[in-house]
Amino acid sequence: MAFTGNYMATSFKQQILEAVHDFRLTGGDTFKLALYTNSASFTAATTAYTTSDEVSASGSYSAGGGTLTRIDPTTSGTTAFTDFADLTFTSATITARGALIYNSTPTHTYTNPAVVVLDFGSDKTSTAGDFTIVFPVADASNALIRIA
Amino acid sequence: MMVGATLELSRDVPVVGVKTTSGRGFTPEELAELCSDKIVFVADTAPQEIRDQARAFKVQVQKVVQLYLQQAVRSDRTTVYNALTEAGHPQLAELIRRL
Repeated sequence: MAFTGNYMATSFKQQILEAVHDFRLTGGDTFKLALYTNSASFTAATTAYTTSDEVSASGSYSAGGGTLTRIDPTTSGTTAFTDFADLTFTSATITARGALIYNSTPTHTYTNPAVVVLDFGSDKTSTAGDFTIVFPVADASNALIRIA
Repeated sequence: MMVGATLELSRDVPVVGVKTTSGRGFTPEELAELCSDKIVFVADTAPQEIRDQARAFKVQVQKVVQLYLQQAVRSDRTTVYNALTEAGHPQLAELIRRL
């Protein structure tokens, strides 16, 4: 199997209506980003974090991935949006094709529910160096999560 | 009347970027570029005059950020140098200072 593109998890859309996720900067949930090899097979049907095909621990990367810094949800015009700050794993030897963002402290009974599947487009490699995920500009046209 | 809301991602175009290094960390120059991309963003659809002004401003922002990142690296090395010296590792401290 392989990555086949970016997906907003369908289960995440349902969970928004169930008030499962809190993206606020202060008091919000903990969202994490885990890296995966191209053997992973994520789609919109992905529902939760998995250790299958996750990259090995190296440098500051450990199983489960890194904690994301939330950007407070806001609006522009009729669009509401939120995003995350760039995330860097240091001193790491990693080859990853994509990532999964998930909520590690959700409300309700879900365990590590999936938010977004990210396909990097090709394998990205750091060797005894830094591996940085650069998030889009947090505005109504580019932010990672937008409701228009 | 229908009321709709959409929550979708571009499926085929990567929505996040990835920057990596090998055998080193990012340089102040590389980080300054990433930083200025966040501070100054202008749409390709903006009028030409606005785009030109924004891009010129972005170059200036990048230069200032780079300067202060370089200073931050130097200052942090001073702190590390002092910590290592006080811990009884003057040779290691000197190695850090010369980086």
